[in-house]
Amino acid sequence: MSAAAGRPAQGGRALRLHRELAAIWATGPGLQRLASVNHSVIGLRIMVTAFVFFLIAGLLGMLTRIQLATPHAAFMDPETYNQVFTLHGSVMLFLFVIPMLEGMAVYLTPKILGARDFAFPRLTAFSYWCYLFGATIVTGSLLFGVAPDGGWFMYTPLSSNTYTPGVNADIWLLGVTFVEISALSFAIEIVVSILKMRAPGMSLDRMPIFGWYVLVTALMMVVAFPPLILASILLEVERAFGLPFYDPTRGGDALLWQHLFWLFGHPDVYIIFLPMAGALSTMIPVFAGRALVGYRAIVVAIIALAFLSFGIWVHHMFAVGIPHLALAFFSAGSAIVAVPTVLQMFAWLATLAQGRPRWSVPMLYIFGFFFVFVLGGLTGVMLAIVPFDWQVHDTYFVVAHLHYVAGGAFAFPFLAALYYWLPHITGRTAVQRFSVPAFWLIFIGFNLTFLVMHLIGLLGMPRRIFTYAGYEGWTALNLAASIGSFIMTIGFGLLVIDLLVQLRYGRRVRRDPWKAATLEWAMPVPPAPYNFASVPHFDSVDDRVAPSTLAPVLARGEGYLGFTRNGWQETLGVHMTSGAPDQLIVLPRPTYLPLWTALITAAVVLSFLFKLYLLALGLGLVVVGLFVWGAQSAGLSSDYGPLPVGRGVSVPPHTEVAGTPPWWALVFALIADGTLFTSLVFGTLYLWIAAPHWPPAVSPDTHLALALGSVLALVIGAAGGRGSVRSLASDRAPQAWIALAALALVGAMAAVVVLIGGIAPHPREHALGATTAALLGFVAVHAGIGLAFLVSNVLRIASGRVSPKRIVDLRLTRLWLDYTAVTGAVAITLVLTLPALVAMLGARP
Amino acid sequence: MSTNPFPPGRLWLLAAGYGAWCSALVLIYALHALGCAFAWPTGALRLGLGVTLLVHLAVIGWLWRDCAKFSPGEAFGPTGSFLYWVVVWTLITAFVATVLTLGPTLVLKTCM
Repeated sequence: MSAAAGRPAQGGRALRLHRELAAIWATGPGLQRLASVNHSVIGLRIMVTAFVFFLIAGLLGMLTRIQLATPHAAFMDPETYNQVFTLHGSVMLFLFVIPMLEGMAVYLTPKILGARDFAFPRLTAFSYWCYLFGATIVTGSLLFGVAPDGGWFMYTPLSSNTYTPGVNADIWLLGVTFVEISALSFAIEIVVSILKMRAPGMSLDRMPIFGWYVLVTALMMVVAFPPLILASILLEVERAFGLPFYDPTRGGDALLWQHLFWLFGHPDVYIIFLPMAGALSTMIPVFAGRALVGYRAIVVAIIALAFLSFGIWVHHMFAVGIPHLALAFFSAGSAIVAVPTVLQMFAWLATLAQGRPRWSVPMLYIFGFFFVFVLGGLTGVMLAIVPFDWQVHDTYFVVAHLHYVAGGAFAFPFLAALYYWLPHITGRTAVQRFSVPAFWLIFIGFNLTFLVMHLIGLLGMPRRIFTYAGYEGWTALNLAASIGSFIMTIGFGLLVIDLLVQLRYGRRVRRDPWKAATLEWAMPVPPAPYNFASVPHFDSVDDRVAPSTLAPVLARGEGYLGFTRNGWQETLGVHMTSGAPDQLIVLPRPTYLPLWTALITAAVVLSFLFKLYLLALGLGLVVVGLFVWGAQSAGLSSDYGPLPVGRGVSVPPHTEVAGTPPWWALVFALIADGTLFTSLVFGTLYLWIAAPHWPPAVSPDTHLALALGSVLALVIGAAGGRGSVRSLASDRAPQAWIALAALALVGAMAAVVVLIGGIAPHPREHALGATTAALLGFVAVHAGIGLAFLVSNVLRIASGRVSPKRIVDLRLTRLWLDYTAVTGAVAITLVLTLPALVAMLGARP
Repeated sequence: MSTNPFPPGRLWLLAAGYGAWCSALVLIYALHALGCAFAWPTGALRLGLGVTLLVHLAVIGWLWRDCAKFSPGEAFGPTGSFLYWVVVWTLITAFVATVLTLGPTLVLKTCM
C-alpha cells in the first residue's frame, strides 16, 4: 500500500480538501435528504429499514409460537394464522434477509474496495425506494386483513384464483416482484462496481476476499431472481386475465410454479450465506491476528457453490413424483454441495488455529455461527437423502432445518458483522455489559426453539397447521419451543437496547478499533460522504493493509484524485482484471428523480392491485418516460480527452471509453433478461411435455408471413442501430438510421400484436395459447423498450450529450436491439414450431 | 500490476467447468424427461444419457488439459497465475462433481 512520495503531515491541507470534497459530496439537510444518492446514506437506510422489517417478522413469528404453545389454542383463528405465518416467512426472507445483505454490500463494498461510491448512485436510490414501497405494501396488507396467506413459497394451485379469490396472493406477487426487481438492480450495480471501480492496483488476485464473495453473490442474484419474477408475472397474469399457465384443467401445470420458484429458492440459500461468509472471512483473520488461510481455494469454493446451488433446485420437490433416476442425481448434487461449504469452514478453523484468537462480541457470534450452521448443514445432508426426505417432508423437521440454516448462514454471522462494523457507522464501540448477555439469550433461545422442532417433526407434526389436539405427544415440545422463542426475543430486545445505548454512550473511536487490515478502516469513522479524500493505490501482496498509517496519507490527498475539479463527484474506473486506472468516472449529484420514479412505480403496482389496468399501463409509460428524462442529465456535455487524476496518471472520462460502467450494466441486465427469457422457453416446453390435457382441442396456427415479417423488422431495427453507431463514429448524422430502426420496431410491434390477436387456441382457453401469447408479448415489450432507447438517443444528440467521442448511448442501443432481434427470432421460431411439437404428442404411449 | 493485463474476455473460463456441469445436468434431465414421455427403448435412452455425460466430461477434460499446459505467469503475471490456478481447480472439481452427480445415469433404471 502506498501513496505518492511521503511529505510532511499537512493537517491544514487535509482539512481544506475535506471541506472542498464535503461541499461536493454531502447530502443536503432537511427534506434534501430525500434526494440523497450517496451509497453510505442509502446503504444505511436499507439496513435500518430491513431491521425494522426484521422486528415485524420476529413479532409475527412470536405470534405463531404463542398459538402453537398449547393445544386447542384460540389465540388466532385459522385465517389470521395463515396470514401471520405467511408474512413471517415472506418478510424474513424477501424484506429482511436479502435487503439486509444488499444494504451491507451497498455500504461496505466501495469502502473495502477503495472507491468513493457505486457506479450508479441514482439507481441505488431508486432501488431503495422501490424496496421501501414494495415492502410497505406487502406488510401493510396485514393491517387490512388481506395479507398473503398461501405460505412463503406461494404454491399453486392454492394461490390460484379458485382457492385464493381475494387480493391476498396478488399482494404477494406484485409486492415481492417489486422488491425483487429492486434487488436485481442492486445486484447489477454491485457486479459492475466491483469489476470496474476498485482501487487502482487492486488486481483480481489482490482483491479482498469480501469482494469475491459479494461479486459471486451478485452474479447469482442476476441469474436467480428472473425465474421467480417470471413465475410471479405469469401467476399474476393468470389471476388477472385468466391465462392458464398453472391450471391443469386447461393445459397448465401447478408444478411449473415449483420449478420456477425453486430455481430461485435454492440458490437463494447461498445468496444469503455467501455475503455472510465474506464477512466471516474478513472478521476471522482480524480476530485471529493472521491472514486468511486458503484464499485461492476459497475462491474456487465460492464459484463451485454458486453453480452447484442452482443445479439442485429439484431437491425441494422430491415428494412430487419425479422419476427415480432424476431423484438420484439431484440427491447426489445436494450432498456434494456440502463439500465447498465445508472447505470454507476448515479454512476459517485453520486461520483461527494458526493465529492467536482474541475474544470479543463479534467472536461470540462467530462461535454461535459455527455451532448452528454445522447443525443446519448436517440436517441438510440428511434431507438430501431421498427416503429420509420423504419421511419428514412438510413436517416441522424441515422448519427446524431451514431455521438452523437461516440462523447459521445469516443471523449469527450478521450479528457478528453488526458488532464488527457498527463502530464504522456510529464512531462508537459496543457497551459490553449488554451485548454479552444478549448473545447468550439469543443463542440459548434459538437452540431451544429450533432443536426441539426437529423432534416435533420426527413425531409427525405437519408444518402450517394452526392448532393440534394434544394427544399426539407434541404438547411439551411445542411449549418448550415457545419458551425458547421468548428467551430468544428477550435476547433480541437486549440487543436493540445495546445498540441504542451504543449510539448514545459507546466509547468514541476515531478509526480502526479492531486493528483490521482492510481499506474501509482507512478513513475516519463515521465516514465522510466521499469515503476517501484521495483514492488509494493498492499494492498489498496479501490482502492486508495498515489503515492507521494509510489513512492520514489519503486524507492529505496523496493518493489519486486528491483535489476537486468542476464540482464533479469523481472516482476512478479500472481495468477489470489488472486494476490499472482506465477512466475517470463522474457521478451524478443528489436528485429527487429516484424518489418520484419509485413513487410512480409503486402507483403502477397499486393500480394493478386494484385492477385498474389501463391506469397501470399509463403510469408504466410515465415511468419509462422518467427513465428517458433522467438519462438526459447523465454523462458530460463536452469532450475532454485524458484528464490528470494524480500520481502522474491521466485517463479519459467514462463518457469517452468503450468499457464504461453503463455498458457493463446493460450486459449484465441482458444476462438477467436472458435468464427470464430462457425460463419462459423452459416453461413452454415443460408444459408441452409434462402438463395434462395436451394436445389442446384446437390445433395451433400462426400466420407464417406475419411472423417472418416481424422477425425481419427486428433484424432491420438491429441494422438501424448498428448503422447509427457507424455513422456517428465517422462524424456523420445518425438520425436517419435511428428513424429506420424506430420504424422497423413499430412495424415489428404491430405485427406481433396482430399475431397475439389471432392466437389459436385462445390464450384463455389453453396453456398453449397462453405461452404463445407470453412469448409474443416478450417480443413486443422488448421492441417497445428499444423505441425508448431510440427516443433517448435523439434527445441526447440534440442536447449535445452525444458526440463522435461520446458514443456510449448509441452503443447501448445497438446492444439492446441486437438482443431484441436474437430473442425475438428465437421466440417466434418456437411459436412457429409449436404446431409440430404438438403433433408429436400423438406419438406418446 | 502486470505489464500484460489478463484479458477480461477470458474471465469466462472461471465459469467454464461448472457451466459444463450445469449444461450436463439440464440436458440429461431434459433428455430423460423426453425419453420417458415418449417411451424410448431403454437401451437407446441410456445410450443417449451416457453419450451426453461423456461428451461433457470430455469437454471439461479438454479444457482442463488445455489450461494446465498454459503458462499464465509468463504472459499475464501474478494475476494470470492466480486466475489460471482457480480455473484449473474449478475444472478439476467440476469434473469430479459431474461424475458423482450424473454417474447414476449409467446404471440406474431409466423410467421408474
